[in-house]
Amino acid sequence: MRALFYLTKQSLVNNVKRAVKKPITLLIMIGGIIYGVFVIVMLGQLVRTVKVDSVRGLLAIVTIWTIYMFFGNFASYSSRKGIIFRPAHAHFVFPAPISPKLILIHGAWMNYLLSIIVAIVFFIAGITVFQIEVWRMLLFFLTGCVLELLMEGSIMTYLYANDRISAENMKWVGRIIRAFLIGVSLLIILYFRRYGLTLESAWSFFDWPGLQMIPFVGWNISAYHLILLGPAPLNIVCTTLYLLSVAGMFAVARHMKCEGGYYEDAAKFADDYAEMKQQKKNGEMVTSVGKKKKKFRRVKEHYEATGAKAIFYRQLLEYKKEKYFIFSKMTLLTLFIAVFFSYMMKDSVTETGMPQMILLGIVGYMTLITTGYLGKWENEIKSPYLFLVPDSPIKKLWYSTLMEHIKALADGCILCIILGTAWGVRPGQIAMAVLIYTVLQANRMYIKVVVQCLLGDSFGKTGQDIIRMLIQMMTLGLGIGAAVLVGTLINIDFVFPIILIYSIIVTVIIGLLASFRFYSMEQFA
Amino acid sequence: MLEIQELSKSYGKHLAVDKVNLFIPDGQVGVLLGPNGAGKSTIIKCIAGLLRYDGRIGIQGIGAKKLEAKKLFSYVPEMPSMFDALTVREHIEFVRNAYNSSAEDEYIEEMLKRFELHDKQDKLGNELSKGMMQKVSICCALVTLPKVILLDEPMVGLDPGAIKELKAVLLELRDKGATVLISTHMLEMVEELWDIMFVMEKSHIIGSYKKDEVGEKDLDALFFEMTGKPDKGGEKR
Repeated sequence: MRALFYLTKQSLVNNVKRAVKKPITLLIMIGGIIYGVFVIVMLGQLVRTVKVDSVRGLLAIVTIWTIYMFFGNFASYSSRKGIIFRPAHAHFVFPAPISPKLILIHGAWMNYLLSIIVAIVFFIAGITVFQIEVWRMLLFFLTGCVLELLMEGSIMTYLYANDRISAENMKWVGRIIRAFLIGVSLLIILYFRRYGLTLESAWSFFDWPGLQMIPFVGWNISAYHLILLGPAPLNIVCTTLYLLSVAGMFAVARHMKCEGGYYEDAAKFADDYAEMKQQKKNGEMVTSVGKKKKKFRRVKEHYEATGAKAIFYRQLLEYKKEKYFIFSKMTLLTLFIAVFFSYMMKDSVTETGMPQMILLGIVGYMTLITTGYLGKWENEIKSPYLFLVPDSPIKKLWYSTLMEHIKALADGCILCIILGTAWGVRPGQIAMAVLIYTVLQANRMYIKVVVQCLLGDSFGKTGQDIIRMLIQMMTLGLGIGAAVLVGTLINIDFVFPIILIYSIIVTVIIGLLASFRFYSMEQFA
Repeated sequence: MLEIQELSKSYGKHLAVDKVNLFIPDGQVGVLLGPNGAGKSTIIKCIAGLLRYDGRIGIQGIGAKKLEAKKLFSYVPEMPSMFDALTVREHIEFVRNAYNSSAEDEYIEEMLKRFELHDKQDKLGNELSKGMMQKVSICCALVTLPKVILLDEPMVGLDPGAIKELKAVLLELRDKGATVLISTHMLEMVEELWDIMFVMEKSHIIGSYKKDEVGEKDLDALFFEMTGKPDKGGEKR
């Protein structure tokens, strides 16, 4: 345990030292703390404003929180993914002569910290906002900090570290837990189906006896009923059951044999998590940890190309092997946005009388927000082979991004044709909107190359994206301003061609600047 | 002493290690040779307790999963992974605490000097190159004063000076009675180290030799004799 404490303490100390050395990180940390306190104070005021600053109000909030935490913890622990280990744990900690249970409990310290912070916030809010007696809030705090943590730690240990149950059987335990969670969710849904989704039914839900009878989570909520509202037959019985279940789970977890069978899953998850962090660091949009090994289709086509053109055909070959060719999550998101807004905004857009302008606005917005969207071209610059190809930098830039332009054209068609048709935009304007979308995506890509080239690793990916957005807004804003001016003063029909021509000119210029990046691997910064 | 009996390990339907038996007595260097994907790293990871497996692994006669056994062995993985926020020295201190090692400061200083890490003690884990990480990993393994030491491709990423030093350190450990197991496919790197060799292919140990049994034959010749793979001239033996 001494070694694990040493590890945590030194890591914390060094992280703080590092943060102090970097004023921006320190400012972000201080800003985050101030923001956190501000949000809590605002929530306290909100509770007063909407008049839920009563015992029942606190009970409602703690019920929602308990259900939320219970679901989150059970779901992640049952799939052995709730505790974040690093690859360094697999190297230094797992092979060390430290009890696997201790390593597990230590690994989840961040989870406990969150529970303790929340319990402290509830304690302070209970006394100040909800005007509850101190002794009741002390009991409340102890339930949150001691009983809940004991329960969580025991369940976690049982699900992770049980070496007696085979891996296959453990999967079944996980499935049963997930089925239980689905059952609890269905019960809550059924309640609201029966009593309707109204404010009254929601308030009654928190007093509903059925809720307190749900094993573990309901019994836990029942303990809060007992503390805050006083004894009643139901909450006495359910709280007793909760205490017994905590004691039982703790005893099982304590005496359970564990020789580190979970290390295999934990090490795999640590690698997947590290990969996900790296992808995020690279600015990619990551939706899950630990993707399954990708399966590729067999391709019979044979392509031949020389010079930089070979880059394009290699990418084409790679995309042909993909399950959905060039269509990705981005295509799905674009389709969803197009279908959603075409119906949701139809009436309000038609009322404005200028649906084409709204379409243009959405096209511009989509270009600015899609920062996490990376294609195969992003990896081209990282590969030394690109710089060894005997061709001009402009051609290398063009052919390594050509497939992205085709993808942008496809996404642009989906977005603009669906929205434009639903909103009654003229076909000519829809076609121009598609081209504007494609050019703006190219513009985004090229500005990103220029920004990366000039800044190197400074400001991080988020900082670089903000700078990229600012440059894009500044360069394109001029053209948009001019187009709007001409549109207002002369003819609204000029807006689309002006924006299209202007964006093409700007994009070509930025593209030429970006091509410098393709001279050598070394960046300017 | 390292003893493996009927060790099997599957990843889903893929059988990575199939009923492997292996024994290395005290004071000997064993080398586990084989092509990529033969199952060498899987065996090492099983011994280190990082994988579930069937069979029995004994460290000085104690089951490898027991904490008493873990105190006796140390592990140098193929890919070192450092804690980002720990310095080189803190990694070593952590290991010293974890193993309750009796290694004294002078010994640590000497190891750091031998692996040219002495002036890099305050560098954080995320500031180290792959080669430096490997050196830290080796120093951490040595700080535990192991009775059994496992090294998975330990020479990869090391500079010639560090390779020479590592070989010397391993021979010193052997001379003090420790058991050494090195998994590698770089035959020339372990030529002067080995006492007993095991060749793995397709999840099995296909053969083993003791150095005193083979006379003047080098490792290279013995390896290709067993695997039947093309020799320098491209001919099959």
